[in-house]
Amino acid sequence: MTKWGFQPIDTYERVEYASQTSCCVCDGGNRFDAEFCRHCRAPLALTLQTDPKKSPPQLVAVVGPPRVGKTVYLGMLTDILSRQQGALQVLARGAFSVSLQQQSMSALARRQFPPGTPVDPEGWNWVHFEVSNSPRRRPEQYVMPDISGEAFLQEVERGHGAPVIRAFLSKCSAALVLVDAEALEQGDQEPDFLAMKTVSYLVEMNRHRRKGWPARPVAIVFAKSDQSELCFDDPEEYARTHTPGLWRQCKERLSRHRFFSTSVIGACAPLHIRGEVTSMPLRIEPRGVEEPFIWIAKQLTK
Amino acid sequence: MLDLLKKYFRSRWPKRAGNHVIRTLETGGEWTVAPADGTGETAATVSDAPRSPSVDPFQQMLEQGRCALLLRPQIAENLDESQVRQAQEAFDTMASRTPAGPVILQGWRRGELEALNDARTGPCRVLVDELFLDRYAVTNGQFLAFVAAGGYAQETLWNPSAWQRVNEFVDRGDLPGPRGWHSGTFAEGEADHPVVGVCWYEADAYARWAGKRLPADAEWVKAASWPVVAEDGGLVERKYPWGDTPAPQKANLWNRAKRGTLPVADLPAGASAGGAIQLIGNVWEWTSSSLQIVSERGRVRLDRPLKIIRGGAYDTYFENQITCQFQSADSSFARRHNIGFRCAISACDIGGLLSVQREPGQALGESTVSQEISV
Repeated sequence: MTKWGFQPIDTYERVEYASQTSCCVCDGGNRFDAEFCRHCRAPLALTLQTDPKKSPPQLVAVVGPPRVGKTVYLGMLTDILSRQQGALQVLARGAFSVSLQQQSMSALARRQFPPGTPVDPEGWNWVHFEVSNSPRRRPEQYVMPDISGEAFLQEVERGHGAPVIRAFLSKCSAALVLVDAEALEQGDQEPDFLAMKTVSYLVEMNRHRRKGWPARPVAIVFAKSDQSELCFDDPEEYARTHTPGLWRQCKERLSRHRFFSTSVIGACAPLHIRGEVTSMPLRIEPRGVEEPFIWIAKQLTK
Repeated sequence: MLDLLKKYFRSRWPKRAGNHVIRTLETGGEWTVAPADGTGETAATVSDAPRSPSVDPFQQMLEQGRCALLLRPQIAENLDESQVRQAQEAFDTMASRTPAGPVILQGWRRGELEALNDARTGPCRVLVDELFLDRYAVTNGQFLAFVAAGGYAQETLWNPSAWQRVNEFVDRGDLPGPRGWHSGTFAEGEADHPVVGVCWYEADAYARWAGKRLPADAEWVKAASWPVVAEDGGLVERKYPWGDTPAPQKANLWNRAKRGTLPVADLPAGASAGGAIQLIGNVWEWTSSSLQIVSERGRVRLDRPLKIIRGGAYDTYFENQITCQFQSADSSFARRHNIGFRCAISACDIGGLLSVQREPGQALGESTVSQEISV
């Protein structure tokens, strides 16, 4: 049986409901107690943790097609940066920021790949951390979501992916575009086309010469590069020879870009089990993981 | 030297000696014994014609680190006492002894083989014969001696399947040698660093040239984990060569400020009980064994043959991947920046000269036989 009655709203609650919480990704207004932004589905914990008026966080996108290794890369990047005692100190903000690192590292330590990122933005992991370059400077805040490859492709190819992708990319200050070097080594041209589409999409989104993507730092990262030593020796030359379309796009349309190579897995064993091929990481040997991020951090502090 | 070679060769392949040819190679002036029918069976190669008339072939082989070949009974019995002593002393400084006995090879952990569901993950007990494992990984300097002696041009040293592709094993200057070298030599100051950028076949060819072989997987684990039989018959193994506690300062691993290889004799505190240095860390080491994953329904088919590597390298990230029991693998043609090797020789192959106790009836030259027993 339901009983009806009157419950007075406390003053502080009325105030909270009256002033809307602005999402740090899409600037849309939300109730103070909402978990996700009702406009773009980004977690509002990010907004509550950052103070956009005081020091707006640097939004950095890590994008690429499905199975290029974005989750592994982002998980390994945060783990390396939070473990090292070097010039670049990183501290995670909020428990949810550690989730991606935790999931990726636990899986890799067991010689497994972490599960793929779901298409639904509510299932994405968002990384929010503080980076201090020098003890004299105030730490910079960075927000980097683990964007689903499928959702990103839908957005790039048909323009109707998750709204958060467009909102985030239009607002973010830099991007890391991951390209599958393993597929390139096998003679597949698909990664070249996908990366060209990505660069083209970003530039068309905001073509402003000073504030748009042509002026924002973009790191083109050849992921899974362990199969090719040339890729590590000279990523620019590798791009020129293996991804000529992408290389030309970058030269013509991005004024601040650089090519990088990275790999996290030392070697994989493709196993044939019950008619299916499963890839098993045999050991973890990160190479060139920090360099793209360090370059971006330097570009953003200029 | 030619007579000596013939004698050694006839004792090793008595029934087929008549079908073999002995020829000199233009590069390096070495004597090579090879099957006339070109089957590519193991052959012996001994320097006989020194480049400089003043160089004694015996001294040359000692300098090249090929004392194991000199100590093989068939050759050693033709050397004088002082030469044998010299070769023995050189061998003692290079090799560490691993006694015969059982070792437990841990299976892959259950979580690691989740995809297989029914994979056998239990440990197995393997009996290993006595062997001598190199104290140090093979260095750039040692490998240069192999390259300079024309190692890449001697078909008899190479596995037949690799010989077809030996011209692909070049450095950055397209000369025969490890992938990271430039124009036939290594970077300055790295003579005593472990050689890397060599595939399994290059490691195998070097070992054959040096009169040794690559250690089997179980032999490597036995030398590193140094199992001791407990009172109840069980085996007590070390997690690391130096003990059971992780000690980052005893091995060249990820946490070091400067990432890269170290000279092979560095970090002696991390030596195994037998005296082998850097079994853990610095570079992965090729073994002679192939990776096999067995499930209840039979062997899982791998996309390509993989050879087992052991020990972890300077860039291995996780602590659970740098133990004596952690097994990884790579394609036998992979020439990685962090995979090197060290050689081994069975005690029975040089037994008599090193006062090694042999079982009655065990013949000289008999190869190591490991027996696998399920626990």
